[in-house]
Amino acid sequence: MRVGVEVGGTFTDLVVIRDGVVEIAKVPSTPHQPDIGALNAIDAANLDLTLISDLVHGSTVATNAVLERKGGRVGMFVTTGTRDLFGLQRQDRTAIYDLHYRKPRPVVMREDICEVAERLAPDGSVVQALDEATLSLAVESFLKSGPFDAVAICLLHSYANPQHERAVAEIVKQYAPDLPVTCSCDVSPEFREYERASTTALAAYVQPVISGYLDRFVVQLQENGFDGRLSIMQSNGGRMPASGMARNAIAALFSGPAAGVVGAVGAAAQSGVANIITLDMGGTSTDVALIADGQPQLAPQTLIDGLPVRTPVIDIATVGAGGGSIAWVDDGGLLRVGPQSAGATPGPACYGRGGTAPTVTDAHLIRGTLQPKSFLGGSMEVDRDAAVAAFQVLANSLNLSIEAAADSAIRIAESNIVRAIQQVSTEQGLDPRDFVLVPFGGAGPLHAVRIAEDLDIETILVPVNAGVLSAAGLLMADYVHYRSRTERTLLNESAVASVQSILSELAKEAAAYLDEVGVSGTRRFEYIVEMRYVGQAFELSVPLEVTPEQLTFAHLFEAFRAAHHRIFEFSKPPEKPAEVVSYRVGARAEVGSFAFDSGNAVEPDAMQAPLRTIDIEEGGATIVCKIIPRQAIGTKAMGGTILVEDGTSTLYVPEGWQVRRDNPGNLLIEREG
Amino acid sequence: MTRSVTGLSDVDHAIINRALVAATHEMGTKLIRSAHSPIVREAQDCSAAIVNRHGEVIAQSDLIAIQLGSIAQTLAPCMELFPPDTLKDGDFFINNDPYNGGQHIPDIFLFSPVFFEGELIGFSASVVHHIDLGGGAPGMNPDAGDVHQEGLIFPPTKYNMQHDWNGGPLERFIAANVRMPDATIGDLNAQFAANAIGAKRLSALAAKYSANALDEAMSEMLNYTERRIRVALSDLPNGLYCAEATIDDDGIGTDPVVIRTQIEIGDERIDIRFDGTDDQVPTFMNNPFASTVASAVACVKSVLTDPDIPFNDGVARVIKVDAPLGSILNPRPPAPVRARLLPSNRVFNAVMKALAQIAPGDVIAEGFDTTTSICLSHLGEAGYNIYLEILGGGYGAGINNDGCDGVDCPLSNCANIPIEALEMDYPFARIEAYRLRPGSGGDGKHRGGLGLERSYRILTDGVQFATYSDRFRTSADGLFGGGPGASAEFVIARGDEEIRLRSKTRVVLQPEDLLIIRTGGGGGYGAPAERS
Repeated sequence: MRVGVEVGGTFTDLVVIRDGVVEIAKVPSTPHQPDIGALNAIDAANLDLTLISDLVHGSTVATNAVLERKGGRVGMFVTTGTRDLFGLQRQDRTAIYDLHYRKPRPVVMREDICEVAERLAPDGSVVQALDEATLSLAVESFLKSGPFDAVAICLLHSYANPQHERAVAEIVKQYAPDLPVTCSCDVSPEFREYERASTTALAAYVQPVISGYLDRFVVQLQENGFDGRLSIMQSNGGRMPASGMARNAIAALFSGPAAGVVGAVGAAAQSGVANIITLDMGGTSTDVALIADGQPQLAPQTLIDGLPVRTPVIDIATVGAGGGSIAWVDDGGLLRVGPQSAGATPGPACYGRGGTAPTVTDAHLIRGTLQPKSFLGGSMEVDRDAAVAAFQVLANSLNLSIEAAADSAIRIAESNIVRAIQQVSTEQGLDPRDFVLVPFGGAGPLHAVRIAEDLDIETILVPVNAGVLSAAGLLMADYVHYRSRTERTLLNESAVASVQSILSELAKEAAAYLDEVGVSGTRRFEYIVEMRYVGQAFELSVPLEVTPEQLTFAHLFEAFRAAHHRIFEFSKPPEKPAEVVSYRVGARAEVGSFAFDSGNAVEPDAMQAPLRTIDIEEGGATIVCKIIPRQAIGTKAMGGTILVEDGTSTLYVPEGWQVRRDNPGNLLIEREG
Repeated sequence: MTRSVTGLSDVDHAIINRALVAATHEMGTKLIRSAHSPIVREAQDCSAAIVNRHGEVIAQSDLIAIQLGSIAQTLAPCMELFPPDTLKDGDFFINNDPYNGGQHIPDIFLFSPVFFEGELIGFSASVVHHIDLGGGAPGMNPDAGDVHQEGLIFPPTKYNMQHDWNGGPLERFIAANVRMPDATIGDLNAQFAANAIGAKRLSALAAKYSANALDEAMSEMLNYTERRIRVALSDLPNGLYCAEATIDDDGIGTDPVVIRTQIEIGDERIDIRFDGTDDQVPTFMNNPFASTVASAVACVKSVLTDPDIPFNDGVARVIKVDAPLGSILNPRPPAPVRARLLPSNRVFNAVMKALAQIAPGDVIAEGFDTTTSICLSHLGEAGYNIYLEILGGGYGAGINNDGCDGVDCPLSNCANIPIEALEMDYPFARIEAYRLRPGSGGDGKHRGGLGLERSYRILTDGVQFATYSDRFRTSADGLFGGGPGASAEFVIARGDEEIRLRSKTRVVLQPEDLLIIRTGGGGGYGAPAERS
């Protein structure tokens, strides 16, 4: 029996494959102790822990530890003269007209940072050697100023020479053998000290929290007889055995959105679709990602609460447009939606938990595209009158009817999502029309068709159980580990041999890591080189389509030139030199396929389904809309206007579009005619 | 909202509005990511905008406030000389002339007309602070007696990509006259790339909504900003409010230079005058009038409006600015202007102090608010290598917050150059310390932000240091009982000797010198006794 458990902000979702049959469960999350929610989900699904062979877990524990500043107390070592690097950051502001600007709050306090007398040059040569005797005394007294839960080390130019960081780590271990130590040369061996130090500090900061959480979770599982394999989702879209994750917690920082993307890629693959744009709409925000050839792109850097993190993360754009996003009118008379959100508490006005602000969910209830009975498959009570009351004020100030105000709020939320999709497509030089839109999460399928219309996307694919796709994604995730290295190399014919050998070495290291954490099976490798023109400061990720042995100068240069042209609308004449700055290799061990049972091998007769019709208010018109359960959608296309409900999410198929089920059980929505 | 003649709904307006703002962000991001000089790619001294076909700025990337304030003034003389109906595909305008709407020589404005189905629908615009455009000294010439000694002037001119760039005459002319041609041409190419992106996004919107509808939506964006500014002003009591701010000296003498402002608030309008301001100075600290306007407007916007109001030419309909010709805020040519941000910052301070009388909760105390421009250059066998970085200081404190520590001044927003990037690109120096200055923020109920210290060990012969800064003698004033911030200082530690430098100067450094830059803190807000 294989089980995926995904802890989200509001709900904890579970997907289980038992004797080839797929079942799902959804329970409220328990934010203060997420493991309780996870165990509740296992209970709710009536699972016998002794029978689970493979348990994959995703959670927001690491993310929340940072957002709520509840990580461990970190003692940090830096080069003399750089102790204030978290106070200075990059000296800039993210809001240029904000006089009361505050910088993002660091996770390590200034008094917990100790300067080390040492210095390297940019090429890694030693300018000032470490004096181990002096250092030893300094470390001993600094550690006494704790107690610390973890230690981070970030010395200038350590990406070029790790020896000084290693030496400091050794001395720390002599005095505090049990303290976890994180070196910047391991976490992010790349130049720019603030970004590297921030990554290192965050890694050290979340480590004790994740280790503690996983230890507790494992004990509870084992007490109930679990002796299968526990693995944890990473931000890069792969999984890791829990034992490996306890050493590399920062890799889990963005695991939630990554699991959804993996689920979408897997579901689309079953329908033979490899080029997709994912649309994951939740309560407070929407995540979108573009996947070409079934291969999610990784971004080298992202931010958490304003703090930079340089560790490979699936390249996802997030926009503050979710079901709980609040609609408002600014003082220039413009209707806005988000980024403020009513969140899970108090939540949309219709939830009756004290929320009074008009939200996107309230708008759907007014418009009719969400029905009171469609919330959690009918198990949750909602109050339409409260939604109407919330929109009344907004409607008055816009001089619109309540229905028109609600419809406008939905359109604005959708346009915000359209812009996020443009960020991952047109801004990267890719045409969204070449992709299939794959919506999921509770609210994604409700908005997908209108969003597709704005982008001229022709096809939408809604996976089975779209509302719990992230949990399914956990089960589809391969074991993945990435290794990277910074080594600037001017690109010419004679450099190719060195590029080849670095890539091969990284591949060996990544594979060896998988061996070490006990992952067997065949390995597949991805090779990525980060390149730029000489003189530029930012690199483009160029994925290689050949193995290192097959690599040639012409291939590398052309791949880079094409990527540069695609993104920046120009490339330089061929005589202008390019350089490789860093290398990244991923090793992947597959876990075998996974498919939702579509649950209806027999062709349903839609006419047999209990037919309900309702009126919905869209675009100033009242439209008659059928409500059809998902099981009743067959392989023969049905034209809108339809709401398709599956108990985890609602799909809106407006007029001009039609929906049908394909063989693997996904729903395909296409333009009519 | 006015009724649409092209059939746009309110929702369409909102959507186009956000799409144009998003396009300028993308332009700015790609400009930075494809640029060559650290002053652009690390410090981000650049901006981008989309302009309608009438020459009004519609949307801007939130990068450098002072550059953004004068894009329309820089475009206007170009459009006058080369009317829209004479433009064709591939044409572009260039302008950096401080006496033709520009600011200072290094800021080159490039404008690309955007056509849709043969019709002009607007311009994409970008501006970059270029590392060196010739002139009397590498990167910066503190000794310049006129603007001609500050570098190449590009008057408002039209060129064509096919004819003049990519090996063409303009590109070759620039490359031959600047000290770091690869970096300068690389940065100009990044500007062209940003403009190409803007053009593409603008055309896509025209294709979707029609050129006329897009034009209407752009006009409505101006109205929208104008409305929001008027709403913000309507809360203020009408009247005349005066204040002044001071620069230490003109770089040669020791007398302070004073900037005086008179702000008149009327019904939903604000007139800002600078009568009684000191005369223009013989040194490089004059403020071209475009910079004066941009600084005053940026201050009003920062104090009175929500940060999310898009900054466009709708602002100019409400805020009028005037400064006497021949004053330091509206100099006569050919006065040099390289360090114009010093008076610009004091314009910002003076306007803020005047507004403090009527909007005490929205203003902040004076900050260090001084662009400290550090230029180190070295001529080696491979040619010139020029380092330029802008160091910030402490912000003034506000009614509910301590001032931000170690941050660039409000009119600008330059990031630092990471130590590791600096040492890779400029092997003639090593950073020995980069830290905040404890105790440098003014006391108060809320404390002023801290200044910072950055010290450079000089590693080779022949390194020149050129700079401008301020607040060595006059520090940032506290507000409502708050104390002043610490003042700034530059020191060369040479063996046992400590050499104190002026705030505007040029010197040749020796190997092993330690050049120590200490910037000032911000003023406190409220009496220290009230601090919790």
